[in-house]
Amino acid sequence: MRLIIRDDPQSASKYIADYIIERIKAFDPTPDKPFVLGLPTGSSPELIYKNLVQSHKVGEISFRNVVTFNMDEYVGIPREHPESYHSFMYKHFFSHVDVDPANINILNGNAPDLEAECLTYEEKIKQVGGIELFLGGIGPDGHIAFNEPGSSLKSRTRVKTLAYDTIIANSRFFNNDLSQVPRMALTVGVQTVLDAREVVIIITGPHKALALQKCIEGGANHMWTLSSLQLHPHTLLVVDEDATLELQVKTVRYFKSIEKVVNELGLHQTLPQKRDSVVEDQGLLAPVAQTNGVKLDVPQMDMSRSASPILEAMGSRVSGDASGMMKATETVEDPQLLRMSARVAG
Amino acid sequence: MPSVVSIPSTKMGAHGSGVTKFTNCLLVKGNDLVKEDLWISSVSGKILNGQEILYGQRIAPGRIVDLGGRVLSPGLIDVQLNGAYGFDFSVIPEDGVVGYGKGVLRVNKNLVSTGVTSYLPTLTSQRPEVYQQALSFLGPSGTHRDPTYGSESLGAHCEGPFISPSKNGIHNTSVLRTSPNGLSDLSLCYGATNLSYPSPIKLLTLAPELPGALQSISALTSLGITVSIGHSEASYEEAILGINAGAKMITHLFNAMKPLHHRNPGIFGLLGTTPSPTSHSKPYFGIIADGIHLHPTSIKIAWNAHPDGLILVTDAMRLAGMPDGTYDWTNGSRIVKKGALLTLEENGKIAGSSIELVECVTNFMNWTGASVPEALKAVTETPARMLGVENVKGTLKEGADADLVVLDSIEDECGKKLVVEQVWKFGECVFEKEVAVKN
Repeated sequence: MRLIIRDDPQSASKYIADYIIERIKAFDPTPDKPFVLGLPTGSSPELIYKNLVQSHKVGEISFRNVVTFNMDEYVGIPREHPESYHSFMYKHFFSHVDVDPANINILNGNAPDLEAECLTYEEKIKQVGGIELFLGGIGPDGHIAFNEPGSSLKSRTRVKTLAYDTIIANSRFFNNDLSQVPRMALTVGVQTVLDAREVVIIITGPHKALALQKCIEGGANHMWTLSSLQLHPHTLLVVDEDATLELQVKTVRYFKSIEKVVNELGLHQTLPQKRDSVVEDQGLLAPVAQTNGVKLDVPQMDMSRSASPILEAMGSRVSGDASGMMKATETVEDPQLLRMSARVAG
Repeated sequence: MPSVVSIPSTKMGAHGSGVTKFTNCLLVKGNDLVKEDLWISSVSGKILNGQEILYGQRIAPGRIVDLGGRVLSPGLIDVQLNGAYGFDFSVIPEDGVVGYGKGVLRVNKNLVSTGVTSYLPTLTSQRPEVYQQALSFLGPSGTHRDPTYGSESLGAHCEGPFISPSKNGIHNTSVLRTSPNGLSDLSLCYGATNLSYPSPIKLLTLAPELPGALQSISALTSLGITVSIGHSEASYEEAILGINAGAKMITHLFNAMKPLHHRNPGIFGLLGTTPSPTSHSKPYFGIIADGIHLHPTSIKIAWNAHPDGLILVTDAMRLAGMPDGTYDWTNGSRIVKKGALLTLEENGKIAGSSIELVECVTNFMNWTGASVPEALKAVTETPARMLGVENVKGTLKEGADADLVVLDSIEDECGKKLVVEQVWKFGECVFEKEVAVKN
């Protein structure tokens, strides 16, 4: 797991937006080989979308060959309802960027057969080869998507009854009238998220601090569904200072030192390649040999106490400035990575 | 001079789906400017539901128009326009009705470049034969939904001749009439065919204190014609009776009526009424914000009294845009034009204006402190509601006609200013301001 701490929500969001752009660019998607992106809604992601839209408008990034899957949607409110996640995505992202409308996937909370809708959704994800990068946020109770506390960590896309806390929290968007708040939602499951090649989570604000603490310092636990990410090989949490309030000082220092060292050494991470297919069994235990022959440095070292595997992963965030520290002249990344591995092994 | 951009010969144009998305713009919605996109169709000529196009039909826009942060407003509506570009709706030219029809088409084509996408061609008090020849050319003209026709008539506004001889303004008193027998007298004047449903007349200004006027108001209202009180000596009580009979509007408030008196507030007093089950609500009212007809403070008082009723009108006439001088007018009178000021030669009375509607909006903002959307409301949403077309015109709601104006909002030491940059009619761009080439 990587944890990036930024001063405020703005810079945390900027970090993630830049990260996603970098990932899409490195992937170099085409119509036949689209980049598959999982997307959340909510107030924390809103800033990320703002940054992505801005980058699109200045021509830095195109979403033409990006396929999107949204995490969740309420059941039983009209698509045009201002609080529906269709409306959210339209307002904050889709109406501003060049995503092909045919590539947009959002669960339909008004489908005649909700069960079938969920099964089809999982099937669709499978058909496009799985999700490359799942972006998410969390609730104050640590839920990811609408996987409320107590959700199975093996869960798949399904109809979910909302927790009482969530209904109360959401009532502010529905005239503070509890009776107007939807009681059910369609949501991807915890396992659906874990199946993604990479998971990136934004967590900002002091009200999320306890959730962050439980998810990092606690054990993997279905009462804090985000904690399941501890078992995912490529997880990146980007948080603001406020969200770290409940963490131990040593946890914060540890993750900060990782980022610092990475920057100083100028490490780069090999960008993940698209999987040939969904690996069903990849499951919860991370270290699985990659089938496409590309060497991935992280998984096997995940088990070790050494900081090095994390160093590998962190390296992708090295900025242009840091590259000057690399001894190698303007060479491509691969040789550097090789040297890096040698060093770790040593 | 601004030019009209060419319009593709086929409606689909080169844009595939015919769907246009405006982006990076400020939409006028109620009293707010909202940073949102707007989707329209050049095929149906209507405003689309962006979510339905995106999620339902899964269509990507064939054309994306980046407005660079400018204001996107519904097209402007002028409910009192007597003529323009040398053509007067109240004059049948020497070559008769053929020339008249051509003149109307010419006004429509030119007017659209000022941002006015629909309007009420307005006739001052005339002899019956003028109405009976002219009205058939002035009825609603949008049925073909053809953007090349330019601005669209929503129906005629007949200002008179059932008005008060002592508040005639520049209307010739010799043609004024009364309607003691109600509808039958009205038919004798306007022609029976013009008073059968659907009528080419949309709005009719009359004085409620005249004999038979209240009866006429009820009859007209039942024909779908909106009645406006104006050119009238009505007391407050008489005005109330007019409203209770069905009148919904006041024609150019303050002008051609008794001034406010504290013991009898007159027609202006209608703005102070409280709607009750026994009486109709406060009327809409036209305001000529040209800096000549009214003092800015009077406008501000009226706006504060009834902000949702204020409708900016130009009351412009055919001399708009013509050089200074003395011009022949109807019924043997002559008009002196000096700058924007138009007066009747024989008595110096104000004779309409030569202002553009967008200039009225600019004046209104600067005089009242109204925001851009509040001021635009007075030429879009409010007149549309008054005319009962609020779901089709004067709004950016889904399903409304895609009649749009792109405005640049400039703010300098002289105050705020709105400039018409683009005009869209039925989903097609029909005017684009020429951009000066910078060296």
